[in-house]
Amino acid sequence: MARTIEQHTAVRGRRWWSEVGWRHVVGVVMIAVCLLPLLYVLSASLNPGGTLTGSNQLFRTISLENYTELGPRGYDNWALNSLVVSTATAVGTVLMGAAAAYAFSRFRFRGRRSGLTTLLLVQMFPQMLAFVALFLLLLSLSEVFPAIGLNTQLGLICVYLGGALGVNTFLMYGFFNTVPRELDEAAKIDGATHAQIFWTIILRLVAPILAVVGLLSFISSYGEFIIAKVVLQRPERFTLALGLYNWASDERNARWGIFAAGAVIAAIPVVLLFLFLQKYIVGGLTAGSVKG
Amino acid sequence: MSDQSTVQEVAPGDPGTTRPPRRRVPRGTTSHARSFSPGFIAKLILVGTVDALGVYGILSAWAVGQWGILAFLVVALAVANWAYFSRRMLPAKYLVPGLVFLVVYQLFAMGYTGYVAFTNYGDGHNSTKADAISQIAAQNERRVEGSPALPLAVVQSGDELGFAVVTEDGDAQVGTAEQPFEDVDATVESGRITAVPGWEVLGFAQVAADQEAITSLRVPFSDDPADGSVRTQDGSTGYVFQSTLEYDAASDTFTDTETGTVYSPGEGGNFVSEDGERLTPGWRVGVGFDNFTAMVTDSRMAGPFAQIFVWTFVFAFLSVVTTFALGLFLAITFNDPRVRGRKVYRSLLILPYAFPGFLSALVWRGMLNERFGLINEVLLGGASIPWLSDPWLAKAAIIGVNLWLGFPYMFLICTGALQSIPHDMTEAARIDGAGRWRIFRSLTLPLLMVSVAPLLISSFAFNFNNFSLIYMLTGGGPNFVGTPYVVGHTDILISMVYSVAFESGVKQYGVASALSIVIFLIVGVISYLGFRRTRTLEEI
Amino acid sequence: MRRSIPALATTAVLALALAACSSSDTPSDATSDSPAADSGTEGTLTMWVDDTRIDSMRPVVEAFTEQSGVDVDLVQKATGDIGPDFVTQVPTGEGPDIIVSAHDGLGEWVNNGVVAPIELGDKADEFADSAVAAMAYDGQTYGVPISIENIALVRNNALLQDTPATTFDELVEQAKGAGTDFSVLIQQGEESDPYHLYPLQTSFGAPVFEQSADGSYTDTLALGGDAGHAYAQYLAKLGQEKVLDLSIDGDKAKQAFLDGQAPYIVTGPWNTSAFEEAGMDISVLPVPSAGGQPAQPFVGVQGVFISAKSANPVLANEFVVNYLTTEEAQDALYAAGGRLPALTASADKVDDPVLQGFNDAGATGAPMPAIPAMSSVWSFWGATEAQIVGGQTADPAGAWDAMVQNIQDAIGG
Repeated sequence: MARTIEQHTAVRGRRWWSEVGWRHVVGVVMIAVCLLPLLYVLSASLNPGGTLTGSNQLFRTISLENYTELGPRGYDNWALNSLVVSTATAVGTVLMGAAAAYAFSRFRFRGRRSGLTTLLLVQMFPQMLAFVALFLLLLSLSEVFPAIGLNTQLGLICVYLGGALGVNTFLMYGFFNTVPRELDEAAKIDGATHAQIFWTIILRLVAPILAVVGLLSFISSYGEFIIAKVVLQRPERFTLALGLYNWASDERNARWGIFAAGAVIAAIPVVLLFLFLQKYIVGGLTAGSVKG
Repeated sequence: MSDQSTVQEVAPGDPGTTRPPRRRVPRGTTSHARSFSPGFIAKLILVGTVDALGVYGILSAWAVGQWGILAFLVVALAVANWAYFSRRMLPAKYLVPGLVFLVVYQLFAMGYTGYVAFTNYGDGHNSTKADAISQIAAQNERRVEGSPALPLAVVQSGDELGFAVVTEDGDAQVGTAEQPFEDVDATVESGRITAVPGWEVLGFAQVAADQEAITSLRVPFSDDPADGSVRTQDGSTGYVFQSTLEYDAASDTFTDTETGTVYSPGEGGNFVSEDGERLTPGWRVGVGFDNFTAMVTDSRMAGPFAQIFVWTFVFAFLSVVTTFALGLFLAITFNDPRVRGRKVYRSLLILPYAFPGFLSALVWRGMLNERFGLINEVLLGGASIPWLSDPWLAKAAIIGVNLWLGFPYMFLICTGALQSIPHDMTEAARIDGAGRWRIFRSLTLPLLMVSVAPLLISSFAFNFNNFSLIYMLTGGGPNFVGTPYVVGHTDILISMVYSVAFESGVKQYGVASALSIVIFLIVGVISYLGFRRTRTLEEI
Repeated sequence: MRRSIPALATTAVLALALAACSSSDTPSDATSDSPAADSGTEGTLTMWVDDTRIDSMRPVVEAFTEQSGVDVDLVQKATGDIGPDFVTQVPTGEGPDIIVSAHDGLGEWVNNGVVAPIELGDKADEFADSAVAAMAYDGQTYGVPISIENIALVRNNALLQDTPATTFDELVEQAKGAGTDFSVLIQQGEESDPYHLYPLQTSFGAPVFEQSADGSYTDTLALGGDAGHAYAQYLAKLGQEKVLDLSIDGDKAKQAFLDGQAPYIVTGPWNTSAFEEAGMDISVLPVPSAGGQPAQPFVGVQGVFISAKSANPVLANEFVVNYLTTEEAQDALYAAGGRLPALTASADKVDDPVLQGFNDAGATGAPMPAIPAMSSVWSFWGATEAQIVGGQTADPAGAWDAMVQNIQDAIGG
């Protein structure tokens, strides 16, 4: 039943326009809107001495000079650091968030509702001053656990994981609730433990939202530089976002070309990751897989 | 929706299940604490590792005197072990890992901000009293005018450090903290002292090994204290210094050596003279609720404050509505499997999210430039629309740019959440003759809202505090005319806090913390009421 | 040493905890000691420097290490973060020994007690006067100046070959004769740009603060009164004539000059390298006076400062006061960084006509004030100039008076 839609692919003419065609129009328009500002970035990245928005005459110079300068400035290293930090953060966030969402969705315990609300409310605290507190915290931690103290990537990952519960838990909680409880009940009767239900039944069924949360947390830690600059102090440990921020922070002397080139390359992993995760996000796993 | 057979198909696939699949386990013993399944061993290893690290941390924290960390580790370890080895506490098993990180990194930051809100932490008061005393003393030690630069060597006899100098007349002299300079018969080679009878002349490495003692050593120039004393910064040159402010530890006061004015520690964390003159730097002290009342008492801010307050809500609300509407529309648009190239569309649509936000804001600022920006010059054919300098247009521009920045997030979430709506339901509705709009209104949207509504509230809260967008795009401008702080029509509460606490000359972390807490209370209460309204929490 | 007990305990506990199974997976990374400091040297200094200057600092630091055996650990920080992070981190004891930064944060550091006074001794005379004045606050010296930056008038020689103008009005007149889109570019932006407009302002005799005889600033405002009114009126006039335009921001001004759309631009050495790389033939001249008095640009001085809580005060002084003040070090900094050295002997050797042009224009300049209230001065100042240039206020002199009042309040409070 769920697959019957495929048979409609053959629709043509006016019906095609009203059901499918307009979607392409929307897509093309939206992509134009998305890409237009980014053309400035691309143009600046190809122009060695130019400005970011000084001219609307884009692509007047085409040169890969900025891109070749990335390597000697430690860019490769930052890219690697970013991938490590963001991947670890994404995995950790998904696991901890999913576990919490499972608990909230499947168990009834005292303080459940208020716990949920509190989780969300905590995330609303303005983090503008958090850097002072985090610096002191990591400074103390450095003495006890040097591995997660200042200037370590593990320390940065831990700080990011501090936000693993909260919004993400909520997103997953809502999704977990759409998975019928009868499934767990049945499995329980079959002798499955709560851990087995969680790992082998629920997690598979909620794969789309796991992919979404993983991607969101990857992107947000990938682009984060305010906390990163508190934690990481040595250039060889920088993440991409922090390194790029450093290049652009001196507005007068900044070389926008190199910065733009770095930003263009930095966007590629995000797009690739999304391409890869798409099949999980929109794979229609829920209804389909339950039916086998 | 599902039946027994579904589960039977899933269960045998469980990795590591060695028991017969259909053995019935009574309720209440779902924790497998007493069985030695692979799962239990995995748990044991994990918890054991955590315990080991925890105990290591406790001992290590004890060794370095980090009592706060020690106490936290003890509590955390106890909770973790209780949660994982108790047969009850099922939810805790799933919540503890995330909660530990939450408590350490988020609640600590909140608590610390709360603490700072009651202090005068900020420029001029950013360290301890001891630091302040040593800094005031250092800053007010001046070289005696016209005194020579003395070639100097650091000398040591037993535990006692001293200086050996060559005076202007070419005589070598030695002195210590207690003993003013006296002539000695030293070896001087090309202007430098290389040997002093009875003293060991320290080399650079030895000087480097005992730096603080050497830089804090003061050797009286003569028997008369008014002549000042010799000190060195580098171990090779000495100058004669005199203190213009002297600290007396017994009375805890500074005295001006010229005027005789006495400065004693005041309540505000500064040394203050009787006629109210303060010495800087000061130190951190508690100030009670002063930071909270600071904002309210300035009547000149009343008008702008009300405007900013309203705009903050409008901005946050419109940001959520616009991004969600566009994100949802696009998600539905590309959720149709008949659309070819969906993958490409979707991937390109998240590009605005993949670029660094501050870069995008800079580009948008350029594109919105009144005379030369792309929007006016190219798209609108040379129009002269003051996008960023007219109060209303600037607000519209902010919402627009935030829409561009924010819709991919909503698009992603809605794309994911749409998967929870079974195809057969919409299909059934369609067969029943429901129109597209009706299916959306009565079926898709309500189901979607179950999982997305809390995120809308959290997105509201995020935008409520979306400092970086405002700061980078308009800087809060166009500015109000004649306000005592530089705040503008597009400032929201959090960027106003920044402007008041950090851009008004001296950084006031205390005031900023207090205002953060006030903002948190406001947005917290509103969000809490929002949660109550959405009834999401009441579902199930 | 102190870690050995916990490390032992860890192993023991771990062994117990894992006794139930046969795994021997040990978290060894948590117990490993951080590598001890290199024992072959006298010590290590930590130095913060921003991205644009780290490369020019590197050879100097290496030469120092070779000479003295002291390692200098260069840590790259964002330009805007060095000052604020210095203030927050020094009290924790975790901050650097030395920072390289523009001097205009000095007042704030002194006020917070994070920077240590130094004694230049007779070496002070070997530097440009404005450079040394910029390193002093409240009569005490805190840093060693390394380079000087200021803005000047840059001419595109392909459009105009000489500048007979003696006043700014004549300059604009002459520039209009070139037939380009713009005459004299002075970058603005939504918040105007008091820094780039300062030569015009001073030429009306309205400097921001009064200066005492030794060149240091007092906190008495001097930008108000009739001189200030005259300048405000002049700004409004330039705004009406579209010589000044808020929509010409830094990017636009640079690009327009690069494209040959203007014969003149008022800018600094950070942009001229791009002009020269693009193959332009440029000359650097002082900005002509608009109000009759000398047009003084702000002079920004990059300096090296020592933390008040440095654990290595002797090494830090050895490097900063004794090494960075040498001709050798300042020459090397110039060779790698291309900014005008603060040491007179090194500056005299600079034969680049562009840098010499900036040097001549800056000779009469005034150091950028370093008082902590400067940040609020900038924002009021820029906001008001933007309102005047943009024509949002009908009464420039009145707006100027309101600004003076606000700044006075901010400084007083």
